[in-house]
Amino acid sequence: MNANKSARKKRKYKDKALYYLKKLALFVISVFVLSIIVFWLSRLTPGDPLMAYYGERASQMGEAERAHALTRLGLDQPTLTQYIYWLKNAFEGDFGISYKYKQPVLSVIAGRLLNTALLGGISFVLMFILALLLGIFCIWHEDRLADKILCKVGTIISCIPEFWLSLVLILVFAVILHIAPSSGAYTIGHSGDVADRIRHLILPLIAVILSHLWYYTYMIRNKLAEEVREDYVLLAKAKGLSRRDIMFKHCIRGILPAYFSIMAISIPHVVGGTYIVEMLFSYPGIGTLSYEAAQLHDYNMLMVLCIITGVVVIFFNILSQIINERIDPRIKAREKTEEIYESLGENGGVING
Amino acid sequence: MPNLLKVNDLSVSFFSPQGELEAVRNVSFSLNEGETLALVGESGCGKSVLCKSLMGLLHSGAVIKNGEILLQGKDLVKMSESELCNLRGSEIAMVFQDPMTSLNPTLTIEKQVAEAVRIHNPGLSKAEIHDRVIQLLESVGIGQASELCKLYPASFSGGMRQRVVIAIALAGNPKILLADEPTTALDVTIQAQILDVLKDVQKKLGLSIILVSHDLGVVAKIADRVAIMYAGKIVEIGMADEVYYDPRHPYTWGLLRTLPALSDGKHELYTIPGAPPTGINLPKGDAFAPRNPFALPIDFEKEPPMFRISDTHYAATWLLDKGAPDISLNSLDSIVSKQEAMMQHKSGKKTVRDENILEVEHLSHRFKIRRGVYVNAVKDVSFNIKAGEIFGLVGESGSGKSTVASCIMNIYYPLKGSVRFKGIDIFNPKEASKNKDILKTKRQLIFQDSSSSLNQRMTIEDIISEPMVINRIKPERGSMKAEAEYQMKYVGLDASYAKRYPPELSGGQRQRVAIARAVSMDAELLVADEPVASLDASIQAQVINLFRHLRDEHGCAILFIAHDLAMVKYLCDRVGVMYRGKLVEIGDTAEVFNNPQHEYTKSLLAAIPKPDPRSERQKEIHIYRGETHECE
Amino acid sequence: MDKHSSRRPPVISIGILALISLACLFSEVIMTKDPSYLDLYNCNVAPNSEFLFGTDTLGRDIFSMIWYGGRISLFIGLLSTLISTVIAVVFGALSGMAPKWLDDILMRFTEILLSVPSLLLIVLLQAIFGDAGTLSIAVVIGLTGWISIAKIVRTEVRQLSGSRYIIASRCMGGSFFHILWRHLTPNFFPTIMFMIVMNIRSAIVAESTLSFMGIGLPIEVISWGSMLSLAQRAMLTGSYWIIVIPGVFLVLTIFCMTEIGNYLRKTSGRRASNL
Repeated sequence: MNANKSARKKRKYKDKALYYLKKLALFVISVFVLSIIVFWLSRLTPGDPLMAYYGERASQMGEAERAHALTRLGLDQPTLTQYIYWLKNAFEGDFGISYKYKQPVLSVIAGRLLNTALLGGISFVLMFILALLLGIFCIWHEDRLADKILCKVGTIISCIPEFWLSLVLILVFAVILHIAPSSGAYTIGHSGDVADRIRHLILPLIAVILSHLWYYTYMIRNKLAEEVREDYVLLAKAKGLSRRDIMFKHCIRGILPAYFSIMAISIPHVVGGTYIVEMLFSYPGIGTLSYEAAQLHDYNMLMVLCIITGVVVIFFNILSQIINERIDPRIKAREKTEEIYESLGENGGVING
Repeated sequence: MPNLLKVNDLSVSFFSPQGELEAVRNVSFSLNEGETLALVGESGCGKSVLCKSLMGLLHSGAVIKNGEILLQGKDLVKMSESELCNLRGSEIAMVFQDPMTSLNPTLTIEKQVAEAVRIHNPGLSKAEIHDRVIQLLESVGIGQASELCKLYPASFSGGMRQRVVIAIALAGNPKILLADEPTTALDVTIQAQILDVLKDVQKKLGLSIILVSHDLGVVAKIADRVAIMYAGKIVEIGMADEVYYDPRHPYTWGLLRTLPALSDGKHELYTIPGAPPTGINLPKGDAFAPRNPFALPIDFEKEPPMFRISDTHYAATWLLDKGAPDISLNSLDSIVSKQEAMMQHKSGKKTVRDENILEVEHLSHRFKIRRGVYVNAVKDVSFNIKAGEIFGLVGESGSGKSTVASCIMNIYYPLKGSVRFKGIDIFNPKEASKNKDILKTKRQLIFQDSSSSLNQRMTIEDIISEPMVINRIKPERGSMKAEAEYQMKYVGLDASYAKRYPPELSGGQRQRVAIARAVSMDAELLVADEPVASLDASIQAQVINLFRHLRDEHGCAILFIAHDLAMVKYLCDRVGVMYRGKLVEIGDTAEVFNNPQHEYTKSLLAAIPKPDPRSERQKEIHIYRGETHECE
Repeated sequence: MDKHSSRRPPVISIGILALISLACLFSEVIMTKDPSYLDLYNCNVAPNSEFLFGTDTLGRDIFSMIWYGGRISLFIGLLSTLISTVIAVVFGALSGMAPKWLDDILMRFTEILLSVPSLLLIVLLQAIFGDAGTLSIAVVIGLTGWISIAKIVRTEVRQLSGSRYIIASRCMGGSFFHILWRHLTPNFFPTIMFMIVMNIRSAIVAESTLSFMGIGLPIEVISWGSMLSLAQRAMLTGSYWIIVIPGVFLVLTIFCMTEIGNYLRKTSGRRASNL
């Protein structure tokens, strides 16, 4: 009996390990495919590839020097060989040189990553807390006036394109009212001043949050609306539970896995959103960088930016899958059952009465 | 006996864009301490709404228009939400219909019961609460409670969950237990156990129970008093014996006569004509009058009052008025036997022919649960069906009967075994494709739930002519339209429905459309998978009669899959009983029902509640516990 | 008991949208000036009786530009929606009907594509196509906007093909095309209509965002987006009308489309809340 038990335990751990290994493999394969797509796209783009490596100097090269450089970089090879070459370099951390900054791409990006993470991270957290609260508020007052007004206002705000919202915010708060600064991450020379940083973050934060908030509020509202229609809510009510207890002890619990998984897959939208907002507020982050890269045809830079965001998004996508498949109590329940069955010495199915 | 609960002149309405829906109309009744009152009626008669209004659980669209609900003298209608909240669970508790959805799947059983205990006993310590939870679970017959309470609902079967729901209801020591169709979603043997649990806790705790049900058999088993509801009104109320053995309202007569269990040996089930009203724009006068074969002129003018028959027995029909003609249940029986004689005259011939239309041999099928784990849904099942025969396949949910049907219809490809239809081996690709046309037309399928088996965006006419269009059959009667109308008339549907869409039809009408579609191809075998399970008793009888007519006039064989044994007994020539994937008994219907051989068949037959309170009260149930599903 | 919520069609939104579309279609009749004429004497003029909506930094009449540019914005919205809807329906139906392994691969593929922010994807594609014109930008937006619709189509197809009436039809011998035409398409229609409207909406937003950023339509090609690309210069002079007026038209159009889309989405009678 005891040996049996430990064997089962072992098998369970093996299953678990296998599951996470599979997810890891999925991640690696996805990133790999992503890099192929991005590489292929970037090779299709017009422009002199040598420019990307040598900048202005490429135009002054002679014929022989050019040919030599092409061979050295492997650019005379077929695209597949080039890709392998690029991959090899990439593993060594060499993604080429930024056309604009004349520096290795990675070092340019490294200086900007934190700024974007700050803006994206704060708006992400605030947005999801607000979305949950608003979703609960709407369902609490479902189909009553407060809910209806909130939904209408939300629809209108969600119809405002992000860039125009930012424009109006700048126009009103920076140009007309002079309340908040309109650009940058900090006043020059005050990079360590926290209060100054926050002041610069306020408008971009509002823009990012407002333009995404409603979409997620609706999602949560819809999930909750389904949840409060479940039969178990009626039973909880018949037990004598108050409305508040039913909402917070039962319904919220029910939508949490869905909530987390929505959060995880919302990453690309939020990332895309911060890019536009960064650009408008001239906020020195990845977004402004990719805008510059796009305008100046700095493809080395663009590729790395695509891959960085892609990796983040794929990671969170897989995380959301894991949340759906593992963290959901309904699934945990099934596992737990098997465990208890094993200890009771029965097999299969459900307990019959 | 003091009145615990008294309902006076209660009316509840819903407001929808179509108009006001009067769900409960001027209902008055009282409930005594320690008694069981049953509310009986078909779906939409307002019994559930009435039940919910007693606990203040009506949703926001419902309005209590007038009346009072007096619980020990206090009026519930006037109470605020927080006052009601204090009352729920401690004075009145409720058990719901579907145990599969009424427990929160994300919390363990212990937490859900403990929550109810804590609300009603705020001072208890953790250990005390735990003890109480175990005690509650044991009181509803859950063994090994201290182990099992750590599980989530997902690992409990329907019967076990319903026990948990009852335990939760008992947590606050309520005086009244409302049970809204507590056994409808359960198999018949489990149903018997749950009814025993209810009876048991009632005896121990002195509860009063209000049982809501559509099943006169279930009610006969535990009710002391019975109230029959129709179109939002109580039309007859009395002690169980009075209502069952001396019914006075024509609707009660109809209900009792539509039950196949009571129409032993009759060729035709009595059917209440028409369908129950929806509650919007109710007809003037007695709402039942249009369906009442004995309706008097006054029925169409004025609603009948409650006539007193005895101190406990009342009924609302003008037939009890002093000036009314002398009509009783016997009058209904004479109508039925007249119909019977007519039908007998029409179809006296023997329909079963001595050739096998379907031969199922050693059929096995399994489903994958997880990687490497399979459950044998069907194991080595063999039977055959003769041309023109109605073969019944019965079993509880999960017994594999639907899987057999799916294999016969080529929806699943079985693990082992063969199925021959008219001699064609349907799993042999070569033979099947050679005889494709026969397979497509002569073998037809009818599903249980007619609302999802008909495309909601096709007109009835298009649905019925679909097989003809698919198989490019030239309509015999000129056009597809004429053909569809002919089929509609044949199954008893008005031709004016041809241009309507399925959602506009009632459940019974939709099932008729499904049947019309199947027979339009002159099918020789109908595979009907629980075709009447989702219909009301009076409509069930109509559809069952239709199946009989089809066989008698058309000569087609029917594989009738059902869990309702009474229905099978009435309709089928031969019957097979399935249990956990195996066919445990097969034989002529009369033989199987009168002299069952297998233990499972015996327990199944014993568990069917009959609408006969005197015998039901004495019956003891033995549950067959055979082997479980085989897993590999 | 289901309560059918009374759903009235959004008459006001349909009216406004029809008005804007018609005015854009017949912009020649409405325009008071040549929208591309650079009236250098009248730059940054606030709205007055001659220039109803004022002029922009280049001296063009905003009132005329709104209608003229709206035509291009709406055209791009329609064309790119056509492209992406066709791709999405084919891809989604394929994935929905495919065996599970193929479906899995196709879905993973769309997830990878979705992981690249569409803005960057558009920039790369635009670079491949060369100079941005009305047609090329519509194609680029169409090529990048189909993924999420394809996913919806796939889910819908999966759900529908498991429904009983399709099984019944198969048993009767219904062919793939019979099922697709008689059963899938009619049940699809409301969802597809909703998606099409929403897609027009997001294509218009995408065009305006791109043009605003200067990687979409150039300033000479007038659209609501390219009109707004002058916004940052307008900010310096405080000419709010250059920013506000095209934006208001944009938001109004999108809002009307959203309302219509929400109406088209099938909302079967919902049960009342249990809470």
